[in-house]
Amino acid sequence: MRLALALTLLATPALAGVEEAVNAWILPGVAAFAESAGTLARSAAGDCTADALRPAYLAAWEAWAPLADIRLGPSEAGALSIAYWPDERGAGARTLRGLIAAEDPAGLDPVAYAEVSAAARGFPALDLLLGDPDLSGYSGGSYACRLVQTVAADLAVQAEALAEGWQAEAQALTTAGAEGNAEYLSPDEAFRAIYTQALSGLEFSADTRLGRPLGEPGTPRPTRAEAWRSGRSLPNVAASVESAVGLARELADGPIPATEAALDQVHHAEAAIDDPSFQDLADPTARLKLEILQQRIRALIDAMEAEVGNPRGLQPGFNSRDGD
Amino acid sequence: MRPLLLAAGSVPVLAFAMPALAATPAEVVDTYASLAQAAYDDSLSAARDLQSAVESFLSAPSPERLSSARAAWIAARVPYPQTEVFRFGNPVVDDWEGKVNAWPLDEGLIDYVDPSYGGATDENALAALNVIGNPTLTIGGQAVDASEITPALLADTLDQADGVESNVARGYHAVEFLLWGQDLNGHGPGAGDRPWTDYAQGAECTNGNCERRAAYLRAATQLLVDDLDWMTGQWAEGGSARAAVTANPEAGLGAMVKGMGSLSYGELAGERMRLGLMLNDPEEEQDCFSDNTPNSHYYDGLGIQNVYLGRYVRTDGSVVEGPLLRDLVAATDPALDAEITAKLAASVAALGEVKAAAEGGLAYDAMLEAGNAEGERLISAAVDALVDQTHSFERAIGALGLGAIAFEGSDSLDSPDAVFQ
Repeated sequence: MRLALALTLLATPALAGVEEAVNAWILPGVAAFAESAGTLARSAAGDCTADALRPAYLAAWEAWAPLADIRLGPSEAGALSIAYWPDERGAGARTLRGLIAAEDPAGLDPVAYAEVSAAARGFPALDLLLGDPDLSGYSGGSYACRLVQTVAADLAVQAEALAEGWQAEAQALTTAGAEGNAEYLSPDEAFRAIYTQALSGLEFSADTRLGRPLGEPGTPRPTRAEAWRSGRSLPNVAASVESAVGLARELADGPIPATEAALDQVHHAEAAIDDPSFQDLADPTARLKLEILQQRIRALIDAMEAEVGNPRGLQPGFNSRDGD
Repeated sequence: MRPLLLAAGSVPVLAFAMPALAATPAEVVDTYASLAQAAYDDSLSAARDLQSAVESFLSAPSPERLSSARAAWIAARVPYPQTEVFRFGNPVVDDWEGKVNAWPLDEGLIDYVDPSYGGATDENALAALNVIGNPTLTIGGQAVDASEITPALLADTLDQADGVESNVARGYHAVEFLLWGQDLNGHGPGAGDRPWTDYAQGAECTNGNCERRAAYLRAATQLLVDDLDWMTGQWAEGGSARAAVTANPEAGLGAMVKGMGSLSYGELAGERMRLGLMLNDPEEEQDCFSDNTPNSHYYDGLGIQNVYLGRYVRTDGSVVEGPLLRDLVAATDPALDAEITAKLAASVAALGEVKAAAEGGLAYDAMLEAGNAEGERLISAAVDALVDQTHSFERAIGALGLGAIAFEGSDSLDSPDAVFQ
């Protein structure tokens, strides 16, 4: 086994970091998420009321958050219906209220639910149904309670499909450059694909997860924080950062001390934040702490570029979120 | 020397013959700037035609003249989308484009809306402000005198009011809303159906405030003309956008490819097409009031191809062309050039199928409906083709040796705030 591995490394030294990122990081992550989502669906089937379901819901978020910014292969479109955010026009809330008001049969059928607006599926839907005061007071057996069961079941199906889809993507990434691999024509392309996810995840956290609630000076927008009803705003940023650095460690040839130091600075900035939901941003001190975290994530991006991409002569590629 | 010009779709064999004649980066970015100048100039001319049609309509409102104004708007959406490929790689354009093409918008900011639209939202306290119906407004706690609707009121006070992006008070889509009104047909057939009498003066006026509505339409159209005039100047000799790409041709090449890839992938395939499909929202289409979306998407795709092939067919049928990016790629990697050329042709063809289906009666908002398998197939095929060609653009960055340049200052790595140094 050890010999085989050594031979593999000898044969394709350029793929070493890619294999580790895929096998040690992404694949275990998607498997763990599928398991958590399954637990959530079974919990919901047992007791769908908001208080009872919240622990399993938060555990599923914990499993998803490290994967949230990896938009490769099956995750590229898959992530949109697992955690559609930001929902700038409130499409999720509008759709859910419409389903509930009409007692739409699609809300009771996980198969039919796959056709419902992506904004009303997955985590953002549960965030509203379990956390919004107007929506979360439903009783067991009510339409809303059964809708929660449907959303959870649909999420579990999506998580299973994601894990399955990643088997093929993992194969494509780890055989980059091999004959017949039409997706990745060289090891560098596979490396760049993963590297781009790490960097764009950090950018998304700085610009959007933190930038949206920060708003303009004088007009903070705390209800624009991600999953603020569940207290997941800061933990999601933290998980995204850990994931980016985790991928960077796998991709890099050797130690990445400047990146590790920058990560330490991010940790300090995270620890200073009092409200993980970012609902205290009207307080100038709270705002400053969030701005500091934002700056330190940007410094982490610089460090990662210097230590991971530049030594290999690679810049990040296009990412699925670099439109508007 | 002017290199041989390749017709669009010419076979890769020709490309093999090119290296000896390969253009220089300086010549290629010069062509690029000229394409941009011509495309913005055509957009400006079309906006002036739109302005004439609007003035004609407002001077004597009638159903026919409203139709003419709408036709002029549709015609204006032929050249403009072909400029969008110039957006992402060029800060001069990217910082400006929200003035002319911002979308989506909360149209209740501007005028009356159907009760189903709802009122203010968590995201936007001004979503139902209705400037046309209210001469006195309150924005962010401040009283605003809107008794006269002027270009300055739109530009300085209403657009992006309260820091909310969907408060779009100007640009193509504001004008579109004023000409068509809301599309209340959901996924069903039909676009917006604003009656011409919304602009009738006197007793015939419908929905109130016809004079103010006319003033708004006039002001928004004027701004559109002014904004496009400014941008055309930026690409002329001595203009800032032309200077930015020609001063350092290598960086200019980076801007070219970045514009192609970002429009193709994150913006058109992602934000504008796949998202609409996944949200199943009939108003998640860019030209949602007029149902003109398939045309705008098609011309966006054509614009991407234009940049690679160094060729733009102007509104009057004349052709602007010159040394092309394609030559530079072919000189280093003929197989990659063949791959890119084929993928561009495939994406334009796929977008053409969406356009043709819409012309054949399958409206874009119907394609977005949950369970519309044909619509999903058409849109997904275009999305896949756009994503696919982006991978090849990344390869071109490598082939052209632009790795270190292409993204310089282009991602969101803002310079750290001095406060925290």
